[in-house]
Amino acid sequence: MAVDILLPSMSAGMEDAVIARWLVTVGERVAKGQPLAEVETDKATMELEAEAEGIVGALSVAEGRRADVGQCIAVLLAEGESAPQAGAPAPVSAPAPVSAPAALAVQDPVVSGASPVAPAAPSDAVGQGRARISPVARRMAAAAGIALDGIAGSGPRGRIVKLDIARRLAGGPARSEPLAAPEPAAPAAPASGRSAVPPGIGPYTAQPVTNLRRVIARRLAEAKQSVPHFYLSADCELDALVALRAQVNEGRDKAQRISVNDFIVKACARALRQVPEANVIWHGDEILHLADVDISVAVATGGGLLTPILRGADRMSLGTLSAEMKALAERARAGKLRPDEYQGGGFSVSNLGMYGVKTFSAIINPPQSCILAVGAAERRPVGRGESIVLAEVMSITLSVDHRSVDGALGARLLAAIREGIEAPMSLLL
Amino acid sequence: MPDFTDLTPLAPWREIKATEAERAALDPKTGLTMLTQMSLIRVFEEKVLELAAQGLVHGPAHSAIGQEGGAVGSALALRPGDQVNGSHRAHHQFLAKALSYVAQQGLDPAGPFAADIRALSKRTLAEILGLAQGFCKGRGGSMHLRWQESGNLGTNAIVGGGVPMAAGAAWAHLRAGTGNVVYTYFGDGATNIGSVLETMNLAAAWKLPLCFFIENNRYAVSTNVGEVTAETRLSARGLGFGIPAFKVDGMDALSVRLASEEANAIMRAGDGPVIIEADVYRYFHQNGALPGSAFGYRSKEEEADWRARDPIDALARLLGERQIIGAEAVAALRLRCQQMMDEIASELIETHEGKKHIVPALWPEESFVDYGLRGDLSEMAGARYLEADAVAGPVAENVKFIDIVADVMERRMAGDDRIVVMGEDVHRLKGGTNGATRGLSQAYPDRCLGTPIAENAFTGVAAGMAADGRVRPVVEFMYPDFMWVAADQVFNQIGKFRHMFGGESPMPLVLRTKVAMGTGYGSQHSMDPAGIFATSPGWRIVAPSTPHDYIGLMNAALRCDDPVLVIEHVDLYNSRGPVPAGDLDYCIPLGKARVVREGARLTVLTYLAMVGKTRQVVEEMGIDAEIVDLRSLDRAGLDWETIEASVRKTNNVLIVEQGALGTSYGGMLADEVQRRLFDDLDQPVLRVTGGEASPSISKALEAAACARAGDVAAGLRAAMAGQGLPVAG
Repeated sequence: MAVDILLPSMSAGMEDAVIARWLVTVGERVAKGQPLAEVETDKATMELEAEAEGIVGALSVAEGRRADVGQCIAVLLAEGESAPQAGAPAPVSAPAPVSAPAALAVQDPVVSGASPVAPAAPSDAVGQGRARISPVARRMAAAAGIALDGIAGSGPRGRIVKLDIARRLAGGPARSEPLAAPEPAAPAAPASGRSAVPPGIGPYTAQPVTNLRRVIARRLAEAKQSVPHFYLSADCELDALVALRAQVNEGRDKAQRISVNDFIVKACARALRQVPEANVIWHGDEILHLADVDISVAVATGGGLLTPILRGADRMSLGTLSAEMKALAERARAGKLRPDEYQGGGFSVSNLGMYGVKTFSAIINPPQSCILAVGAAERRPVGRGESIVLAEVMSITLSVDHRSVDGALGARLLAAIREGIEAPMSLLL
Repeated sequence: MPDFTDLTPLAPWREIKATEAERAALDPKTGLTMLTQMSLIRVFEEKVLELAAQGLVHGPAHSAIGQEGGAVGSALALRPGDQVNGSHRAHHQFLAKALSYVAQQGLDPAGPFAADIRALSKRTLAEILGLAQGFCKGRGGSMHLRWQESGNLGTNAIVGGGVPMAAGAAWAHLRAGTGNVVYTYFGDGATNIGSVLETMNLAAAWKLPLCFFIENNRYAVSTNVGEVTAETRLSARGLGFGIPAFKVDGMDALSVRLASEEANAIMRAGDGPVIIEADVYRYFHQNGALPGSAFGYRSKEEEADWRARDPIDALARLLGERQIIGAEAVAALRLRCQQMMDEIASELIETHEGKKHIVPALWPEESFVDYGLRGDLSEMAGARYLEADAVAGPVAENVKFIDIVADVMERRMAGDDRIVVMGEDVHRLKGGTNGATRGLSQAYPDRCLGTPIAENAFTGVAAGMAADGRVRPVVEFMYPDFMWVAADQVFNQIGKFRHMFGGESPMPLVLRTKVAMGTGYGSQHSMDPAGIFATSPGWRIVAPSTPHDYIGLMNAALRCDDPVLVIEHVDLYNSRGPVPAGDLDYCIPLGKARVVREGARLTVLTYLAMVGKTRQVVEEMGIDAEIVDLRSLDRAGLDWETIEASVRKTNNVLIVEQGALGTSYGGMLADEVQRRLFDDLDQPVLRVTGGEASPSISKALEAAACARAGDVAAGLRAAMAGQGLPVAG
């Protein structure tokens, strides 16, 4: 009996995922528990294991394509079975000969295995040619003028449900549509909710939005629209830090050298311990004061920005912190972060200094209250008593959620961070 | 041979017959009134049979022709404040009591009939024909005649069904101390049914001023009394219950009157109920204008013998012998009765193209069909409502549910002496089997009534109390399954009362019961009654899941003029919750659900003990579900505003209940949801219920038979998978 492998929900709230890589091929025999595919969810890549043994009969979703939870992504066959022929018309439309039922009734279904695919159940035969769709989905589709052709339903027996219409309305690439199919030139029906391609943009290629990109887009849009940001900037002199860094890195393996960023993260951790009132999360009717200092550090990856967390960063030595950061960044770039490695955190650091950015303001990573944007270090003239000298200077900007952290408190936090950066020996204690 | 000692019954059993001296002493005015009443009734019944033969009476026409002596003889011994009820054959009793009420100074056989006599006859005939001007607006017809003002409590089509209710009215009279009495008329067939025998026992135990008036006409339809009972002298039933009993010739109205006067003296003296057995004969078959002999169950000779003893002729002879009225005047009386009934009939019936029809304008409007199934809740005006989330004053935390059950009742009884609590053991064991009536029998011994184990009778007694209006009974069923024992009173009588009698008669009765699933009481003590009550007409149902809601819903139930089932649950009795400190007086609106938890993906509709259980599972699984505690479960009480708002948001519905599939509540609710909200549904309405069978005593089997956390979890998974969002694990 052929078994459909449905994409399971692998984390709370997961609605879909990308089949990043198939680990098996059609015709391959698989054992129970054998990894079948790498599945890329919101932020992590996990392995999907076979729940039973069998022979891979079909892989229904191409690598790199998105599948909804509950969608059939592969078929496992028993010994001797062959895969149903995709695209072949189902043998149900032609009525059986009048004499057939009696004959069929006495046939041993195993012996008569010439047709290994079990005949469709009568109810399915009746349903042929009529889309199974829930009432509310039908109403939504009609209101939006959406054709039901090509929508694979997520409900039982392929029923098109509200979720499927909502996905179509949200503009997600429909599974059965060719990706590059250009939209018609006419403006899309406004009710569809799917934004029309802006006119006059000339030739283009459409790139499907990855899960990660969609999550980033949603969270940042939410943060920028709903969190009342304000921004505090300061310049930090780095000469002491640069000198100390050279000292601690002396003799270290190149791969294990401590970066300027490690110092900055450490300075933030120490500052949060000194100003615990700022280590908070806005939570509706209450403000959550966090016991631990957990710092999210932005890491650019091919798919988008990830923010793995250094948990208990204030208690780590600089060396441990640096090593931990390198390992997290590596896993982030490989898409191997576990949910607990990126979910949570009380404060974020985003550093674009290595790209020569002088100064910028970052968007808060909700539900956190602050994010520190770090610019490039450069030699700038600074005042020393009555004279002007050149010094290594870096601009930092703290973005603050005014709901949970007021201006003076934010300023105290920023001053503590700056103090740590400018007197880096304190970070070694 | 052992020694035998003769034992004698507690109460006397005697035949009573007027002496010649008493016949000679009959007051002429009483005799003429008796004659006139019997003539009016006889002619009225002949008119009904004539119309029935013409196909103008929809349904049966049970005539009492031949039986007038019993009804008139007894009714004329009653005071206007006394009351009667009867059975399916009751036109004569209804008219006798009503005529006695309308013409309290008596009737003159020679004079024209007063307008109110004519109006009474017309309204009665109109009711029998099912017309809007009838006493019950055409709802009741021949078998449900009620005119409370005249002391007619309502006749009944269930054999014996009205008898417990008459006892309830008698209880109200006894408590009010008016000395008024109630007569409940029924036939020989009813003396073998439980509700009558149970009521005899209860009325005797409580010394109710109730006369069990047996019209022994020898035939239950076609079955002779001797075929179905050994002691055919049916007044002997009283011997077993300590009820004094009289046997009397019902063809002799004067003797019946004497028997009634004897009975009334006993009852008005506070000595409890009396039985009168009147031997009578119906000249015709069960219904219609053919004699019984035409159906072969009795002989023409037997019918001729009884007709020779006709009660009207007998009285006319006596009055003639005493030269009070002559034969011509008797014939003229009959003629005037016929003229009046012909006139009345002609006002109700027209001839069109040679055929007779009811005048079309006289039918009730079709829109009247469901009117008055329940009251309009105008009695709730002025109620103070208080929801748990709106409590402003001090709160008593962790108050035990079962304590609130007793406390709120005591509070209401203190302020309203109409409230009477009754049920098995409610007066003992420190508040019944669960403590729900704790303290009530000490505080109000005359209003906390421990009943015999006779659910049908005591429920019917409560119904009679509630219909009376001077009492607001609160009945307890120790277990919900006992509703089947009391089913006639619960469903045929209480639930249908207001509607059947025209829509205006209140039935302010509260029925408390507790769901006991989980206590190991097995197949006959473990049901959830909500489904059965919700699919039966007339009942309101509330199911409080918190102490706060219990106070408010019980207060609303006690204020309501309709019967309200208050469902409790043993699992909740020991639960605790906050209530407003010192406030036992607020209400919760009937018909208002409570959103226990908000959510976006799924609407869970549930009630009673499953509210808390469902919430726990939903939160453990992290499902984004909205949980609605329905609180009011009857059709009229479903809070569609709340339900619709939730379903329009979530598009998915799961109904969770604990009890068995067959008698479930969710079936009715699912049907309502899909009819109202089909276009908003993303999948069929899903349900969690117990098994098909009734729960067993075995702990393992009982647990498997009732819906539990695992079933709720499975329901939630199905509901999420059905919308394309399967839950892992």
